[in-house]
Amino acid sequence: MRWRLRGSIGLLGRLFAILLATVTLEFAVGTLIYERASQLSLQDDEARRLAEHLVIARKLLSENPSRERPALSFQLTTDRYDVHWSPAAPPPPPLSPGLERMRRQIIDWEPSLEKASLWLRLTPGRHSEINGGLRLPDGSWLYFGMHHSGGKWAFTIGRMGLALIPMLALLIAGWLLIRRTLAPLRDLTHATHRIGRGVEVMVPEAGTSDVRNLITAFNAMQARIHRLIDERTETLAAVGHDLRTPLARMQLRVESVADPDLREAMSDDLDEMGEMLESLLAYFGGDSEPESPVRSDVAVSIATVVDAFQDHGHDVTYDGPDHLEMTVRALSLRRAVRNLIENALHYGHRARVSLERKDGEILIRIDDDGPGIPRDRLEEVLRPFARLDEARQRNTRGLGLGLAIVQKAVAAEGGTFLLANRPEGGLRAEICLAAPRSTGRG
Amino acid sequence: MTAPSIILVEDDPPLRTLTARALQEHGYLVRPASSGPEMWVAFDAGPVDLVVLDVMLPGTNGIDLCRQIRRKSDVPIIFISAKGSETDRIVGLELGADDYLPKPFGTRELIARIRAILRRVGVERGPDDHRESEAHFDGWSVNFRRRELRSPTGAIVDLTGAEFDLLGSFLSHPQRVIARERLIELSRTRMGDSSDRSIDVLVSRLRRKLSSADRPAPITTVRGVGYMFNAEVSRA
Repeated sequence: MRWRLRGSIGLLGRLFAILLATVTLEFAVGTLIYERASQLSLQDDEARRLAEHLVIARKLLSENPSRERPALSFQLTTDRYDVHWSPAAPPPPPLSPGLERMRRQIIDWEPSLEKASLWLRLTPGRHSEINGGLRLPDGSWLYFGMHHSGGKWAFTIGRMGLALIPMLALLIAGWLLIRRTLAPLRDLTHATHRIGRGVEVMVPEAGTSDVRNLITAFNAMQARIHRLIDERTETLAAVGHDLRTPLARMQLRVESVADPDLREAMSDDLDEMGEMLESLLAYFGGDSEPESPVRSDVAVSIATVVDAFQDHGHDVTYDGPDHLEMTVRALSLRRAVRNLIENALHYGHRARVSLERKDGEILIRIDDDGPGIPRDRLEEVLRPFARLDEARQRNTRGLGLGLAIVQKAVAAEGGTFLLANRPEGGLRAEICLAAPRSTGRG
Repeated sequence: MTAPSIILVEDDPPLRTLTARALQEHGYLVRPASSGPEMWVAFDAGPVDLVVLDVMLPGTNGIDLCRQIRRKSDVPIIFISAKGSETDRIVGLELGADDYLPKPFGTRELIARIRAILRRVGVERGPDDHRESEAHFDGWSVNFRRRELRSPTGAIVDLTGAEFDLLGSFLSHPQRVIARERLIELSRTRMGDSSDRSIDVLVSRLRRKLSSADRPAPITTVRGVGYMFNAEVSRA
């Protein structure tokens, strides 16, 4: 790993290297195709016809005087073959693939052409795909071109295909390489999306040096953020715990207050302070380790919470199955249900709690008969420390963390929490969780 | 009968004084201690009926002290803690504490817990000592330490303190008719508990929790007499 770190080149370098690799490959493959051209061949009859034509043309041209040769060569030109005569030596052979195999085919038919230094080449031109020349006995040259008629298309497509396949292959290879180079950046993006949702998402260090540096910096930043959060949480927990000792003292001292009204009022204040501390610690964590999910009977838990409210004389009912076993953070969920019932009783007079399994979902609903929440404030109330009472001049206990705690507890289960005004009046709070595969009890 | 002796281990001086005074006012003999070493000195000073132990102490903390006490003695222990969470409560109970009281607490609650435990000890820690940790019936399991009930499929089933004590009473007398009055007496160990519902409500709630789709809870009503727990109970 170390040596890779030191030897690693930057993103720019990596992309350049990919470019270089593709260009080099393209060049290598191009050269190979050039070489392969010598393997191109003609069909047998075509080679024979060309050979015969060349022999005839050579014989006619060499048997006639120079001045008649241009006209003669014009006559020798057919649909298929172009024939020219030139007294001069051929131009230096241009850079085009020699057609060694084709030449052999022709010479096999007419071995006499061997001595006439026959050469062939592929031309990029439109008219004739193959042209060539041969020397006449007097040192002048006969040039010819061949229109490839029959197999023209196949020939062309073959040539194009030969060039296209490596190009496509190189495109794909280049794409894959660049994709691989950028993969760590993708991981980083995914991690960034998940950051701040509670868990630390360490991105493995990979990729080029600059990407790696970015990831290192990202991870360090994340560690710093989490350390900060942890410090805050610890501080909060310490303050919370330390406050409970003086609260406990006050609680015991209050009991010796002679005036019963004063005693009652002070005791009530102390209860509220205790509840505030509890909700603060529940929301920000710090009272204990995060709860881990255990298999528990959610129906019984909810019924137990409802029983406790009934014992305190509240109008709370439970409607649902006696048993429903799920793997959940049972304490958090129980607290959530308790908070919702408390809210329902605070704003209304009764709470109707129901539990239902429907279409692969578990629905926990708490309905009240209160005034509901104005539509435009439904989202706002889920925020920590939010309360509706400022507008309504009603006395609320606590810090306004109740619904935020519910929201957090439900999110931890991967569920959704919804508040909606019921058409018949009142508010419906609904917790929706994914249903377990089996809820039966053995 | 002499007043029960209680060792109170609490590091906060005012709270220690206040708690000690509250206990004395209710007729208990209190030996206060501010730390582990002082607690051991108090142990040597005479017989001890109960220890009230703060979890967070300087030096050796309450949890370690609880472990050390358990190695020598079965004396009932009540934890008091500034940590109110359920997990802390369970850890405390697992370690062998008999109850767990979060701060802040009132005198009434503390006294109720102490009375309940002393009574439980009186009732249960006789010749037939029930401090074993588990019992099983019909596939259900009960963990007395954690005060936890698990269904045949291993799910935790919530019980209130009163319901758990009621179940405990049934489990101590399986397949025997228990008179209502006796049940009330056996189960009224948790006066601090908010539920002061009649025993019949408690029984019906426990029945609902112990029922399953294919069979009812193993608690039958014996008309005019009381109830019977008709399942085989095995203890571990």
